[in-house]
Amino acid sequence: MYRYDEFDHALVSERIAEFTDQVRRRVDGRLTEDQFKPLRLMNGVYLQLHAYMLRVAVPYGTMNSAQLKKLGHIARVYDKGYGHFTTRTNIQYNWPALSDLPAILTELAEVEMHAIQTSGNCIRNVTTDVFAGATDEEIEDPRPWCEIIRQWSTIHPEFSFLPRKFKIAVIASETDRAAIRTHDVGLQIVRGENGETAFRVFVGGGQGRLPHIAQEIAPAVPGRELLAYLTAILRAYNLLGRRDNIHKARIKILVAALGIDAFREEVERQFETLRHEDLRIPDDELARIQAYFAPPPFETLPKHSGPFDRALLADPDFARWSRNNVRRHRAPGYASAIISLKPVGGVPGDMTADQMDVVAKLARRFSFDEVRAAYEQNLVLPHVKLDDLPEVWRTLHAHGLATANADLVTDVIACPGLDYCSLANARSIPVAQALSKRLADLDFQEKLGPIRVNMSGCINACGHHHVGHIGVLGVDRKGEEFYQITVGGSPDEQAALGEIVGKSLPAEDVAPAIERALNRYLAIRHEGERFIDTVRRTGAEPFREAIYEAA
Amino acid sequence: MKVLTANRLSDGRVLYWGAQGLATEALAEALWLDDAEAERALASAAARPDLFVNPYLVEVNAGEPSGRDRFKEFIRSTGPTVGHSRPDIEGAA
Repeated sequence: MYRYDEFDHALVSERIAEFTDQVRRRVDGRLTEDQFKPLRLMNGVYLQLHAYMLRVAVPYGTMNSAQLKKLGHIARVYDKGYGHFTTRTNIQYNWPALSDLPAILTELAEVEMHAIQTSGNCIRNVTTDVFAGATDEEIEDPRPWCEIIRQWSTIHPEFSFLPRKFKIAVIASETDRAAIRTHDVGLQIVRGENGETAFRVFVGGGQGRLPHIAQEIAPAVPGRELLAYLTAILRAYNLLGRRDNIHKARIKILVAALGIDAFREEVERQFETLRHEDLRIPDDELARIQAYFAPPPFETLPKHSGPFDRALLADPDFARWSRNNVRRHRAPGYASAIISLKPVGGVPGDMTADQMDVVAKLARRFSFDEVRAAYEQNLVLPHVKLDDLPEVWRTLHAHGLATANADLVTDVIACPGLDYCSLANARSIPVAQALSKRLADLDFQEKLGPIRVNMSGCINACGHHHVGHIGVLGVDRKGEEFYQITVGGSPDEQAALGEIVGKSLPAEDVAPAIERALNRYLAIRHEGERFIDTVRRTGAEPFREAIYEAA
Repeated sequence: MKVLTANRLSDGRVLYWGAQGLATEALAEALWLDDAEAERALASAAARPDLFVNPYLVEVNAGEPSGRDRFKEFIRSTGPTVGHSRPDIEGAA
């Protein structure tokens, strides 16, 4: 994976010195909260309901064991012994003291991490396929391109004060595991005319109050012109995007208002100038960055593994975990293992410091020192030998990390909601917990198959409710928590926004209502038909009926 | 009646305006203020930026938050209702 060069080190240490001074001036009163707020946000520091919150970037979700161990250390020393993985593949700490922030950021820099641009109206952490470099579906590893975008967008002077935040995701396969069409810009690596790397570009996606699915703006931008093209999009947005109304300031509103064709013309106009400027990615620089992401030295192994096959037969719990949480790998004899952060009744995305230590050790020993954060708020060990999976599972199991529910109905995405967040209208976590307890039976979950349930505690949609196969949105009705349910959303290459089924429900009715919808699915599905495909075939009506049956 | 609340500058924890103008972390120890007292407390809190960040007033009825944001204010006063931050289950995972 990428290692900082002298410029990265200098940039991060200069920023720590700058922010340390800003914290000092805030504490001694030379900076007011109004003056300090935009400065702390640029460094990932929020002031939430109960405390400051620090969001640390995990660039494109890739970490080594030293980094994850450090994240655990910070949780233990400066927080309450845990951290929360987010849908931007970042990690949040809920309880840091203001005065500890310089020390935390200094410790993070020791392992080449920081919190720059994890908030504010700038280009945020770039996300990608959690199986990048491991899946056999990709054209090439998308992470070198993510790293190039990271370097280009970090403290970019022209794009540090955008109308609103800006999120980019990159994939390299037809299968979209990074929800690129819900992003301000989504990039899909394709083969260009001459076989070279090119980018299919989507623009204007976004969730929140006015959700939009991104539209294609270009079919194949040549790789070396990627930064020029991105600059053209950002420049058009920066010049034309609204700044008068925070709810209409995202690029999705601009693209929808102009129409994709007019927006494309504007981008092409900018691109005509920019493509001749000094924004072409030099060949040697691309090669230098790609070298960091060279595949690890996989052993030549047979496709099947005796120890793995024997463990499957010997232990039904291991077999179930393998069935649900293990994914195919490009190298024979290897697999990727999903570490669910969704135990029954747990907080989606939460992980204790001790658990981080455990996974860091597993990554070092069994996965070429790599671990990934998935936007679904899980972790992944990307490169594990099939031979080693039984031992990996036993260790995970001993530490509450082997819940066999990846992509099943209890693998719920949920934002922190009103338990922590100052923007929330309602709690998300207890609703997710109630659902996970009610549907805990894994036989039933496997019978249901893959179902994405996403929950947000407010319309800002950090819990991606619009694109859940089943979405749950917390709303405030005269000081009481209620929940609106949507059906038929999808985050993938067939991205769609869910349809609101009807009036909102009180918290205690949500899990039973979802269970009725799931039972309706079992009753009406065709042979082998996934939940989302049944919804696409029938529309929301059967599920609407089931949800309101008892109400 | 109203209570005055804010977040503490040093660590962001929830504070209330208590007796003798001292800050308290316990809603139960917050002073119940009438409108005139509340305005004076706001002015006093604004003059203590070393302690109070974003001071504002919360409506209370018999000491419990009662306004539009009563549930949010209830959670601010008790801490998260679930999860690793709760002292009763902290470190349990």
